[in-house]
Amino acid sequence: MEKVLEVTGLSKMYKKGIYAAKEVSFDVKKGEIFALIGPNGAGKTTTIRVIATLLTANEGDAIVNGHSILNEAEKVRENITYLPDEAGAYKTMTGKQYLEFMASIYTADKEKAKEFVKSGIEIAELGERINDKIGTYSRGMTRKLLLSRAVMSRPALAILDEPTSGLDILNALEIRRMIKRFASEGMSFLLSSHNMLEIEFVSDKVGIIAKGHILEVGTSAELKEKYSASNLEEVFEKVVKEANLHEELSEN
Amino acid sequence: MKFFSLLKKEIRELLTPTAFIGMICTLILFVVIGEAFGGIMEEVVDEASTYVICDQDKSDFSTQLIKTLTIIPESTESGKIEDIKYDIDRVKLIDIESDDYQAELKKHDVSSVLIIPKGFGDKAQKGEEVEIHNITLMSSGSMLSNISANDAAIETFKAQVKSLFYVNNGLSTDNIVKGETIVQVKDTTVIKDKSADISSSVVSSLLSTQSLFVPIVIFVLIIYCSQLIIGAISTEKIDKTFETLLSAPVTRISILSSKMLAAATIAALNAVVYMIGFSRMMNGIMGSVDDGGASSKVLEELGLTLTTSSYFLLGLQMFLTILITLAVSLILGALAKDAKSAQTLMMPITFLSMVPYMLTMFVDIRTLPIIVRLVVYAIPFTHTFIASENILFGHMNVYWAGFAYQLVLLVICLTVAVKIFTSDKILTMTLSFDKKSKAGKKKLKLFGK
Ligand SMILES: Nc1ncnc2c1ncn2[C@@H]1O[C@H](COP(=O)(O)OP(=O)(O)OP(=O)(O)O)[C@@H](O)[C@H]1O
Ligand SMILES: [Mg+2]
Repeated sequence: MEKVLEVTGLSKMYKKGIYAAKEVSFDVKKGEIFALIGPNGAGKTTTIRVIATLLTANEGDAIVNGHSILNEAEKVRENITYLPDEAGAYKTMTGKQYLEFMASIYTADKEKAKEFVKSGIEIAELGERINDKIGTYSRGMTRKLLLSRAVMSRPALAILDEPTSGLDILNALEIRRMIKRFASEGMSFLLSSHNMLEIEFVSDKVGIIAKGHILEVGTSAELKEKYSASNLEEVFEKVVKEANLHEELSEN
Repeated sequence: MKFFSLLKKEIRELLTPTAFIGMICTLILFVVIGEAFGGIMEEVVDEASTYVICDQDKSDFSTQLIKTLTIIPESTESGKIEDIKYDIDRVKLIDIESDDYQAELKKHDVSSVLIIPKGFGDKAQKGEEVEIHNITLMSSGSMLSNISANDAAIETFKAQVKSLFYVNNGLSTDNIVKGETIVQVKDTTVIKDKSADISSSVVSSLLSTQSLFVPIVIFVLIIYCSQLIIGAISTEKIDKTFETLLSAPVTRISILSSKMLAAATIAALNAVVYMIGFSRMMNGIMGSVDDGGASSKVLEELGLTLTTSSYFLLGLQMFLTILITLAVSLILGALAKDAKSAQTLMMPITFLSMVPYMLTMFVDIRTLPIIVRLVVYAIPFTHTFIASENILFGHMNVYWAGFAYQLVLLVICLTVAVKIFTSDKILTMTLSFDKKSKAGKKKLKLFGK
C-alpha cells in the first residue's frame, strides 16, 4: 500500500547534544492510524512538530505524500492538518466563524471552503452552539471543534497530538469512533498518546517511544504476541525494561 | 494571624522579579531625566543671569542704565550707595550691525539681545516715551529652552529709566508714579530666516497646543501598537492557535505581515480618532479665547505652521516609528509564555517612549550634555518626538540623521523578527523569570539551534 508518511532517521535537539527525538523512523500508509505512545517527555510532541514542519529537523527526513519536510515544507503543509496538544481556538470567534476562517486558509476555492465548513459543522456535532462564541465552550466542545477542523479539509494525513486528553469517557469514545470512520474513508492519522489502552482500540499500528528513541513498531496484536503480553501497557513495560537493559549493556 | 498569612502571600505574589525590574527601570528613568535636567538647568540659569545688550545709543544715560544691570543685588541691602558692588560679567555688550538678526545673534553666539536704539538717552532725559528692542532667536518649542534674561532686564530698565529721569532732573524719587511707563518694548522673535514682531513667550504658548498634543498622540500610538502586537502574538502562542496556523498551507511571512498590517491599520485609525478628539477638545478650550485667527497668522509668518511637505516628513517619521514598534513588539511577543509575561514585556516599550516623551516636553535635546544627549538619541522613539520641532525650527540635519538611524534600526529589528518567526525560535523561545533561581535573577532562555 502507498505510504503517506515516511520518517527516516529523524532527530531533533532543543539544546546542543541533548536529543528530544533521536533517529526516529516509521511510516504511515494510506488509511492507516499510527499512534506514537510513550511517557511524558518521551519526544512524541517533538517528533510530531518536526513532521508538521513547525520545527526543523537536525538529522533525517520525513516524506509526506512524496514531499520532504526539508525543502518542500509548503507542499507538506498542503497535505496535512495538525492539532496541537491542549490547543485552543480564537475565543472571540463563534465555532462557525472559526471553521470558516480555517477553511479559507486551507483552500482558496470558495465553493470548496463552503463544503469544508458544512462538513466541519456536521462533524463537530455542536448543534446550535456552533453559533456561540468559542470562549463560552467547554473543553470537550472546543476539542471537538478543533478535531472537526482537522478533518474537514480531508487532508492526506491528520496529525493529532493527544486528541482525547482531558475529555470524559463518552467524548473520548466519540472522537475515537470519528477517527476510525475517517480512516476507513482513506484518511491517514498520526496520533500521540500516553493512554495505551485507548491506543490499542483506535490504532492500526503503534510506535513505542521513550527518551526520544523509537523502541518498537508494529500492530498491537503483533507486539502483544512478541512480548507475550495481554495488553499494550504490559508490552510497553517490557519494551522499556528491555531497552534500559540494552542501554546498560552498551554502556558497559 | 490569618490576615497576616494572607497579607504575606499577597505581598510575595506581588513582589516578583518583574516588579523589581519595574522599580529599577523607574529609578533609572528618573535618574536619567534628573541628569538631563540638571545639565540643562545649569545652562538655563547661566544664560538667564547674563544680559546681552546692544547699546546703539552710547549716551551717558544708556551707559548708566546698563550699569544698573550689573549691580549685585545682595550689596544693596544696606541701602547705602557706597556699599553697592558691581559685577560687569553680568552684562555682555555686543554690536548689531545689520537687520539680519539671525546672522548677528549667531555671530555672537547668543540667543537673545536687547537693543537700546539711538536717541534713547535724549528722549529719556526729556521724559519722552522711549522704545527698546527685544530680539529672541527661537530654536525650540520646549518649555525650558525659551527662558531668557531679557524679561528681567526689561523690568529693571522700566524702573531705572524712570528713576534716572527723576534723579537726573533733580526730582525726588518719591514722586515716581507707579504703573506709568514711558518705556515701550518692541518684541521680535526670529526663527530660521523669518521673524515676527511678537514676543517669544507668546510664540511659545501659541505653539503649546501643537507641542502638547502631538507627543501625546505619538505616545499613545506607540503603546497601543505595541500592545496590539504583543497581545496578538502572545495569545496565539498561549492558545496554541499559532501552531495551528504555522502548520497550515500559508507562509510564515504572510502570517507575520498580516499581523503587522492589521496592527498598523488599527493604530493609524486610533491615531486619527485621537487627533480629531484632541483637536476638538482643544478647540473647546480655546474657543473662549478666539482671536480671529491672529495667532495662526503669527505662526505662519514665522514659518511655524506645517506645510504639505513637512506633513509628509512627519508622516514618514511616524510610519517608520510604527514599523519599529511593530517589529520590536513582534520580538517581545514571541518571548511571552503566558498572559503575565506578555504584560511584563510591554515594559521596555513603555520606558523607551516615556523617556523621550517627558524630556522633549521640557528641554531642547540638542542642548543636553553630550553623554545624556547620546543616550537619549540612541532611543529610537526620541527622533519621533522631536521630528515636528526639527521640521518647524529647521534642524533638518538632526531630522535626517534620526531618520537614517531609525531606518537602520528598523532593518535590524525586522531581520531579527523574521529570523525568529521563520525558525524554531518562535516556538521554543521564552523569557523566563526563573523563580527558583537565587534573588530572582533574570534569565533569558533562548532555546533552539
Ligand atoms: N521548547 C523546548 N525547549 C527545550 N526542551 C524542550 C522543549 N520542548 C520539549 N523539550 C524537551 O524535549 C523532550 C521531549 O518533549 P516532548 O514535548 O516531545 O515530550 P512528549 O512525549 O510530547 O511528552 P508529553 O506526553 O508530556 O506531552 C522533553 O525532555 C522536554 O523537556
Ligand atoms: Mg506532548
